Amino acid sequence: MTEITEGARLRFRKKLIDRAIDLLLMVFSVLMVLPLILLVSNAFKSPQEMLAWPPTIIPHAPTLANFKAVFGETPLLRWIGNSLLFSGLSTVCIVATSAFAGYVLGKFRFRTMNIFFALFLATAVVPFEVYMIPLYFQAQALGILNSVWGLLLGYLVMSFGIFLIRQNVIHAIPDELLEAARIDGAGELWIFWRIVLPLLRGALGALGVLAFFQAWTSFAWPMIVTTTREHYTIEVGLALFQTGFTVDLGRLSAASAAVLIPSITLFVLLRRNFVQGVATTGLKE
Amino acid sequence: MISTQRLEDRTVSTRSLARAALIGTALGAGLFGSLSAAGAQTITVWSGYPEMAPFYEHVAQGLKATHPGLNVKVEAIALREHEKRIALGLTSGEAGATVIELSGSTVRRYLENDLLPSAPADVSAFVKDPKNFDSFFTNDASKDGVVYGMPLFRGQASLFYNTDMFAKAGLTHPPKTMDEYTDYAAKLTLRDATGHPTVSGWSLRLSGGGQGIAEKFWTILFEYGGSVLEPAANGKWKANYANEAGRKTLKQYLDNVYTRKTVTVEMPADAEAFERGQTAMFIRESWVISDIAAKAPDLKYATAPLPIGSIGLPTNLYVKGEGKDAKAAWDYVMATNSPENLVWLLDKVGWLPNRGGVDYSAVTKAQPAFASFVDYPQGYKFFTLPSIAPIDEIMTRLAAQLAAAYSNPALAGNDAAIDAFLKSAADETNTILSREGLLAD
Amino acid sequence: MLQRKRWIFAMLAILPTLAIFAWVRLYPIADTLRLSLQKWDMLSKNKPFVGLANFRELMGDHLFQDALVNTTIIAFGVLIITIPTALVLAALIYHRTRSRFAGFYETAVFIPYVVSLVPAAMAWKWIFDAKLGPLNVLLSMFGIAPQAWLFNPVLSVVCIIVLCSWQALGYAVLIYIVGFKSLPVSLFEAAKLDGASGPQSFWYVSVPMLKPITLYVSVVTLISGFNVYAQAFVLASDAQGAPGRQVRVLVLDMLENSFRNYRVGYAASEAVVLLAIVLVLTLIQFSLLREKGRS
Repeated sequence: MTEITEGARLRFRKKLIDRAIDLLLMVFSVLMVLPLILLVSNAFKSPQEMLAWPPTIIPHAPTLANFKAVFGETPLLRWIGNSLLFSGLSTVCIVATSAFAGYVLGKFRFRTMNIFFALFLATAVVPFEVYMIPLYFQAQALGILNSVWGLLLGYLVMSFGIFLIRQNVIHAIPDELLEAARIDGAGELWIFWRIVLPLLRGALGALGVLAFFQAWTSFAWPMIVTTTREHYTIEVGLALFQTGFTVDLGRLSAASAAVLIPSITLFVLLRRNFVQGVATTGLKE
Repeated sequence: MISTQRLEDRTVSTRSLARAALIGTALGAGLFGSLSAAGAQTITVWSGYPEMAPFYEHVAQGLKATHPGLNVKVEAIALREHEKRIALGLTSGEAGATVIELSGSTVRRYLENDLLPSAPADVSAFVKDPKNFDSFFTNDASKDGVVYGMPLFRGQASLFYNTDMFAKAGLTHPPKTMDEYTDYAAKLTLRDATGHPTVSGWSLRLSGGGQGIAEKFWTILFEYGGSVLEPAANGKWKANYANEAGRKTLKQYLDNVYTRKTVTVEMPADAEAFERGQTAMFIRESWVISDIAAKAPDLKYATAPLPIGSIGLPTNLYVKGEGKDAKAAWDYVMATNSPENLVWLLDKVGWLPNRGGVDYSAVTKAQPAFASFVDYPQGYKFFTLPSIAPIDEIMTRLAAQLAAAYSNPALAGNDAAIDAFLKSAADETNTILSREGLLAD
Repeated sequence: MLQRKRWIFAMLAILPTLAIFAWVRLYPIADTLRLSLQKWDMLSKNKPFVGLANFRELMGDHLFQDALVNTTIIAFGVLIITIPTALVLAALIYHRTRSRFAGFYETAVFIPYVVSLVPAAMAWKWIFDAKLGPLNVLLSMFGIAPQAWLFNPVLSVVCIIVLCSWQALGYAVLIYIVGFKSLPVSLFEAAKLDGASGPQSFWYVSVPMLKPITLYVSVVTLISGFNVYAQAFVLASDAQGAPGRQVRVLVLDMLENSFRNYRVGYAASEAVVLLAIVLVLTLIQFSLLREKGRS
């Protein structure tokens, strides 16, 4: 009898703690997205309300004027298009190079391959900013500044991607499977295409999402590669929009809010892939 | 046409006739294509002042009659980014025909490296004609007597003051000496119950990136008889602010910020604050007049010349490109200096045109605020940024030093510390000069 | 024979990636090292060799020192905030995995990591604004005087740390959650049998077990902290109304030296210093990991 009440008490206690944790997490989650909510709210404010003290969280008289002005004055859609194209191409390149290199490094244990792997790994920690300037002069020599190709030059390969795929190849593809195919007379390319790639679909998808957002949020490189308005990526366009003579915070917020839409939509759509992608990062070290 | 003649000369089978006709069409199309290309130049105007964009569009509109195929793209972005894209764009040599707006001091480095061509003969003659330009502007657009650019407008500073606030503070005329500036600032500052300023008496440039802080410092330094860089013989330079003038200037800043608390670093500043009634006065270029007209048309204000003189920073137009495109670009550059366009520039944008002999009175009469910029007193002096390669580095580094000094309360009222600060900043300036072989002994 | 065929396939398959890699990674890195020993103004054709002169000058350059100090403070500041917060958050979210809000928690914490930086920084710039921002309103409710967040030399660095931590947190939390999921359940059950409370088993079981993950996340966070640039750029942009104090960071100083002061060689020497710092940090991580493996 006492044991039962004791158990009920414990269960109740546990429930209480869980509710408290939920509350805490809920508050924290809201705090995390609050800056973005405020941004969206500012986008709907009139210039007068923008200057009001104390600031309002929900606009009293929401207006679309900021959005109209922004879309009228800046090639915002073009910038978003540039970013999408650049990020998309970068994703394709990184996924392709990583798939080939990762597979070869994972399953072909020749000494040369080990040297290559060491090479990839050694440069993985070198920050992009370190060699950005020489890379810029390479883009210049090729005459691809102010183009999506110039942007792409900095985002063709990803050391981490190669590493990620190699880990996956080692863990997810049994040698026996490959050997059996070889005994059946399958060519190496056929094996790669028909056996390896399908098995890597999950990992490649995850890598693709990582690569996409890496390019989407890149800033320093597009900042130096693109110098004409029509070639800006969305990050650069917004940053320079801000440095105009007098800043109109309402319009800037409208532009920023408009840009949040594609990023958040993409993220929510690809969340599963993303979580898996991050999940497989660096944990097997 | 060529292909038709050929056809007449020969008897040909239908097959080769068809072929010839095809070739002819292709030729004709090619000819037509090149013809239309001759009439359809695209030039790009790179500007570092977003508010200048309408002016460049206006000039392009005016050229429609004489250059029907001319396509002008105007790309005006913030000055710092503008200078960066020139550094990157000129060296890459793939920009096509571009009209580039730059100050004579910044352009120096490009001229030294032969990255910009000299002006064609007609432009050169126009620029050298003393009826058009004072020699100050001609020299600024030239190097070793060769004209490279077309003078367009200049940055010149005056005091902008809110007449309503002046009246409320019982002030009837603008400040005439630098001491008066501080006194006025103290009287004009509005404070809340705790004594914290809510409306600054005199808005000073105290923070921000780039070299703006150093330029504004130089303007006040100049009123005290100093300068950031002083020329010596044979094109060498020397820092000239680790002295009494420098000390007075920095003291004035610190006095206003820390002792009299007429302004704080974080207060809204500059044109924006002035337009919103958050500051009573500030020193700025003439473009503010048009900015006020657009954004705060009901603001009651006036302008006044500075005590001794002002910065006079000429901005010129240069052309990068070859062949017909370059020709069209220079035509465009000439058109910017037509009297009609210059009057439009002054009226609508507010930057001061450099060309003389043009009747600007229609604008200056309608907008009395321009008077202090155009009809300045006898003996009013001007300074400009020297045309030396490391000028931007010197100014940017000085700006970083000054920003630190302005936010350092320990310097306020401590002459020895101020002198030490100025000495170390000037040493840095001289080190850069010396590294580039430009330091006077 | 078969071996040889496989070798040829392997080489052919890896060659394109290798070539691209050499072209856009190895060569530019080598070029940075070379440029750091030269004096080059970007415009002229000759690049005289100056030995270690650039590095000697860096030693006495107060802007560089300023940048180095700021960057280090920011990187470690972000680390100190992010790691403990992420660990606790991840533990709580893992504990509530079966809650129907778990997906929301994960998404909310992770979203700052994927939104474009400029909009995010914009939002924070407004929050920190001394005159219009909600942060000072909030503080005044507790009787704290308004602060000049973006102007005060100390607070402006704090602002950047807050902004960077806000962005870095999601990644760290996610990695930790995965870490928690990979811990053997039997361990927790054993701890429970021994009478350990939730916080106790977190502290005595989870934290030590997650040490490799902590090391990994630390290095990733530190390295990206040392590359901070856009945040500093946007928070102090040259807007006329309220410029904000420019917090000088290494990448900003580097870009200013190359593209504003036309000193590419000098900027390259800064890049080499950055590289050295990152390499040392990575080496420390590896040695810490190895130590762990031995004990």
